[in-house]
Amino acid sequence: MGFAEQVLPVLAPKIRLALDQLRRIVPGKWAKLEEIRLRAEQPLQVEIGQSFLVTGAGELTADPEQALKVGGADLLRTLQLIGGNSLYTLEEELKEGFITLVGGHRVGLAGECLVARGTLLRLKRVTSLNVRIARELKGIGGVLLPFLAQEGRPLRTMIISPPQAGKTTLLRDLIRSFSNGEGLSAPAKVGLVDERGEVAGCYQGVPQLDVGIRTDVLTGCPKREGVFLLLRSMGPQLIATDELGRPGDLDLIEEILNTGVGFITTAHAWDIKDLTRRPSLQHLWVQGLVERVVVLSRRLGPGTLEGVWDGRTHEPLLTQVQRLEVTR
Amino acid sequence: MKMIGALLVMTASTFAGWIYSTLLKKRLTLLNALIQSFQWLETEIGYASTPLVEAFTRISGRTQEDVQLIFSTFVEALQDPAGLTADEAWQHCIKQNQETLPLKAEDWALLFDFGRTLGTTDREHQVTAIRQTLERLQLQTTGATEEWKKNERLYRYLGVAGGALVVLIFY
Repeated sequence: MGFAEQVLPVLAPKIRLALDQLRRIVPGKWAKLEEIRLRAEQPLQVEIGQSFLVTGAGELTADPEQALKVGGADLLRTLQLIGGNSLYTLEEELKEGFITLVGGHRVGLAGECLVARGTLLRLKRVTSLNVRIARELKGIGGVLLPFLAQEGRPLRTMIISPPQAGKTTLLRDLIRSFSNGEGLSAPAKVGLVDERGEVAGCYQGVPQLDVGIRTDVLTGCPKREGVFLLLRSMGPQLIATDELGRPGDLDLIEEILNTGVGFITTAHAWDIKDLTRRPSLQHLWVQGLVERVVVLSRRLGPGTLEGVWDGRTHEPLLTQVQRLEVTR
Repeated sequence: MKMIGALLVMTASTFAGWIYSTLLKKRLTLLNALIQSFQWLETEIGYASTPLVEAFTRISGRTQEDVQLIFSTFVEALQDPAGLTADEAWQHCIKQNQETLPLKAEDWALLFDFGRTLGTTDREHQVTAIRQTLERLQLQTTGATEEWKKNERLYRYLGVAGGALVVLIFY
């Protein structure tokens, strides 16, 4: 089943129809679809390398006048379809601001918030909705693997990149490789704390995307609790988490350091320079807490590898800029 | 010949009276089954936060057959690839069953209202809406019980008596 069968049915009929046309007219573009963006009273937008508007007949355009206008009702309808017409089952998601679909695609939400005593209770009215297509690109991490393990031991690794450069896709593939032992001297038991459900794309707790045969997934759990739960209960050799970003997330690395297991995660930074400028990340870099830093960008398109650095000596290990490709 | 005619008239009218009285009984049974089903629904949504399709499928598996009919039509409509909202699916299922099931217009009206907010609000509100519907159903049931007690025999007698009257007049 392609992503079209997973994503189109949850869109409001009008939008579904337009995008289904788009799929027919330009299948090549459709196959590279990254995002679908719905905003109340704004034209329908898709992200395919760059941002395009879509007409009611499914043609790509740059003219907002010609594009299909998304109404508030369309957003509501889409939200209802996503929630199986049972919005009450999405209370937690409306608080977190995202929902995971079958297939691991992620729907981000924004709009009017309901707040009590300064805390966000949930989104009251959704006026912006963003469907990010989850991609499985098996084998793209192949060239990196020799750098990320030493004598069969997974190293503490951090992938940094700007948004939309393929962090999560690469992380997923590396987890899969470690878990299956592909391209390594031995497989590793992986414990994945997938707080936002984006890596394994869990739908009702079951991974929709391939994260390997030796991976235990803890989904929707705060990182700190999740990591220690897995360390206690599953005895992983490699801990993986999705993007670090909240205060306290980075302290977690220091704590894991003491347990002696490998670690792989992602963080948001433009490049090594940017990394050294961010107060929270700088600490990791200066102290050499992370053994490998992988840098991605969009220079040659999503999934451009800028290089691999040794986090302790700060020496580059691989500097050849290349597009990560599916090798399998 | 006359005798046969008279017999036919008597049978028909007695039967009509009997049908009327069973209709009352059937409405009462259905209302009671609806109450029980909505109580189950309250548990499914309020405690387990079960999605509508799953909740209604589960309930229709163990409820009385008329309610089963209503609930399963609803589930079918919900799963329609056209993508109906819960309200639309609910209205559709009421329209489908309105003619065949022994409920009164006012019973349908309250069910109709129930669909308005179905699935569109948070759990707390869903439970409130279910409780309101339950209260209204209970009220209808009280009315239906009284009506049944008062009129069950009346309709049967009327059936027999009406038949007898026609026979007497035309014989």
